Amino acid sequence: MTDKNKEAEWFWLCSAPGLYEKDRKRLLREFETPWEIHRLAAAGTEISSVKGKKREQLLRWAQEPAEENYHKCLEGGINFISCQHADYPEQLLQISDPPSGLFFRGTLPRKGERCVAVIGARMCTYNGRNNAADLAAALAQNGVAVVSGMAYGIDARAQEACIEAGGRSFGVLGCGADVCYPKENRTLYEQLIQNGGVLSEYEPGALPLAAHFPQRNRIISGLSETVVVVEAKKKSGTLITADLALEQGRDVYAFPGRAQDVLSSGCNRLIQQGAGIITDLDEFLELIGCRAQQTRKEKNYHMGLASSENLLYSCLDSELKSLQSLANETKLPVKELIRMLTDLQIRGLAAEIGKNYYVRTR
Amino acid sequence: MRLFRTVFSAAVFGVESKMVCVEADVGAGLPSFSMVGYLSAQVKEAQERVRTALKNAGFRMEPKRVTVNLSPADLKKSGTGFDLPIAIAIAAAYGAIPQERLDGILIAGELSLNGEVQAIPGILPIVAGAAQNGCKICMVPKANEQEGAVLEGIRVIGTENLKEAIDYLQGNREIAPACAQTDPPAPLFAAEDFADISGQEAAKRALEVAVCGFHNLLMTGPPGAGKSMLAKRIPGILPPMTIEEAMEVSRIYSVSGLLREKQPLLCSRPFRSPHHTATAKAMAGGGMVPKPGEVSLAHNGVLFLDELPEFSRDALEILRQPMEDGEVFLSRAGVTYRFPADFMLVAAMNPCPCGYYPDLSRCTCTPPMVRRYLQKISSPLLERIDITVEVEAVRYPALEKTEGAERSARIRERVLRCRAIQQERYQNTPYRFNSNLDRAGLETYCALERQEKEYMGLAFEKLGLSARTYYRILKVARTIADMDGGGRIRTPHLQEALCYRSIHKKYWQNRQENAR
Repeated sequence: MTDKNKEAEWFWLCSAPGLYEKDRKRLLREFETPWEIHRLAAAGTEISSVKGKKREQLLRWAQEPAEENYHKCLEGGINFISCQHADYPEQLLQISDPPSGLFFRGTLPRKGERCVAVIGARMCTYNGRNNAADLAAALAQNGVAVVSGMAYGIDARAQEACIEAGGRSFGVLGCGADVCYPKENRTLYEQLIQNGGVLSEYEPGALPLAAHFPQRNRIISGLSETVVVVEAKKKSGTLITADLALEQGRDVYAFPGRAQDVLSSGCNRLIQQGAGIITDLDEFLELIGCRAQQTRKEKNYHMGLASSENLLYSCLDSELKSLQSLANETKLPVKELIRMLTDLQIRGLAAEIGKNYYVRTR
Repeated sequence: MRLFRTVFSAAVFGVESKMVCVEADVGAGLPSFSMVGYLSAQVKEAQERVRTALKNAGFRMEPKRVTVNLSPADLKKSGTGFDLPIAIAIAAAYGAIPQERLDGILIAGELSLNGEVQAIPGILPIVAGAAQNGCKICMVPKANEQEGAVLEGIRVIGTENLKEAIDYLQGNREIAPACAQTDPPAPLFAAEDFADISGQEAAKRALEVAVCGFHNLLMTGPPGAGKSMLAKRIPGILPPMTIEEAMEVSRIYSVSGLLREKQPLLCSRPFRSPHHTATAKAMAGGGMVPKPGEVSLAHNGVLFLDELPEFSRDALEILRQPMEDGEVFLSRAGVTYRFPADFMLVAAMNPCPCGYYPDLSRCTCTPPMVRRYLQKISSPLLERIDITVEVEAVRYPALEKTEGAERSARIRERVLRCRAIQQERYQNTPYRFNSNLDRAGLETYCALERQEKEYMGLAFEKLGLSARTYYRILKVARTIADMDGGGRIRTPHLQEALCYRSIHKKYWQNRQENAR
């Protein structure tokens, strides 16, 4: 049997509808190879590892033209690689339950390519987003690929920033590799295919079911040597990934936050449990063996501001503040305040997040 | 012997009235009573009411052939206001009233079976139409006489029953013409004053700007922040209505039957706040014979839409045309009804379904939830809203101090000054307010000097404006400059206008885009 044929057989097993990784593992324990499973299933032999509906589906699936499906998939632009293939990411093989095969568009991490996962909440703060972007850009400049889940918020921002900085990034999906989820991230999805790849253990066309995501998270951490949590609530998918990373023996780092910040509670918990703490980006880069960036000079941005502008600037914070609360704090006439706020935004010292909610940007 | 009499009456179309001649002929032949002239069911039923009312008013109808025609015959007549003129025309045709006593008199009113005259909607347009067509006297139901008396140049006579009306026309009785009890327009907004709201200076300022330039306004903010409270106070800072405006508004309310007997002329600007379950028809007006909808009832005043995304898409889409043209056209078989609908739209909404975005420690919504919520408002509607402002929930200490807040009357003085500047500038132009400016108008009246142009260029790039937002910002900046005395637009005006810019779709749709 040629390698090509073997891959086709693996493809047959990995794309079997209704089967999950644990079913495949059980089948492989019983029959060792996919082609053996295929042969027996095609012959309708008794298969004890899967039962009921799944068994029926598998028997039916065995009647499908496996080879043809495989080529059709490849021609459709979706690549497949089995865990036996030489190009299968090494990092992923080290975890306890690597996926039997990966479907992907674009590329997979190359041999020896360094990967760091940057993950976090979907609903995230302005600061969290900035931290994610800065980190991802710094990693990109060091030739380290960013792995994440292409979700809203931290994930997407990190991957975007990485690509903007000329780096490679990999999106691990909880649906088929040909499905863009969430669909709003279409642009990012296309960019990832050009500069890295999107990959999934689920068969092409698979829907983004809730049950897929915790499973997909093990691949995010599995592909990476280090996992960085930017922002997370205490109970969140991000923390599941962090836990999996620890089980897999990956280094976990987190950005600390203030004690009362809901969106930092997960990060703080991780730090409490012994995760690395990122207070300085350069320090972190050195820790993971990267070159620190040129030390950015801390400028006195408030130089050249009029005294009332300075007052307003110092009232602004990394926390969101509404127009009215700024008016209450500064006691400035609203008319003046509004004008100064716009000016600070145009000078890049402040940003408007929600309607009339402002943060300080530097 | 043939007798033929003509009585003037009027049919209400939209907020206008059209003269209708009620002709009655009594002649020999088999006794019958027929009515012709493109009548609706309501008018056809008049036959029975008229016959009985005449009998109960003590008038004996000899068995003759009675024919009634309402002309012009191509105009569909509806409503119950024709009962009285038909009864009088018949009585006259029987010889009770000579024709010369009927000339120059317009008659309208509904009859009950015992001969009493009942109130009808739309008296104001009817009387106005009568005056225009050279009538000297207008005979209306007693209950409507105050409403009709508002108009000058015509005598309005209120009648309580058919007997009285016939007596009057026969010259056997005098009825004193109604005189309008024009109480000085009471400051109705005294009850709702901006002084009641402490804090919220930012929102108040935005409201003032909006009112000065007649810009449509959108308030966002968590539930209970006081958005409705602010909106209710807007009519109080709008300039008082001129007599023409009051008349226009009263006509609409007259047609809708919403005028009260005590207060025939509406002196305060309307404030309409339809519930978010309102249908498109309730908004624009509808019915077989169209009645004014909320947009018309808010004419010359404020249309307040609370919980904007909860309104049905149809109900919101229908706002676009009146917002553009200031009037609504409703077409029914053969006739197009026109209702004025020049209102200031004030809308309020939560920033997300739970109301707490962007406070992420309290907001429990997911990005798709927020997107779906905001997508309910179409961008064409958002594009007609020049000013958006956040209303923050008031904290307790701010609730405490009530002194120091400005009174509505003071704000109104400033509004009046600003409006006067606009009035002078837009003399002999199609525009009335800064918000009316189109592309050409913007180029003429909102030209920027080099320095300001550069500033806007910077803002364009840094704040990611679109061309559409740019023009809206210019309009608002024009208003703010007018509030400062009407000079040319300077950088501070632009800065403030930039702060009120509407949040365009993208800003809401993809919030990660915005926060870069």
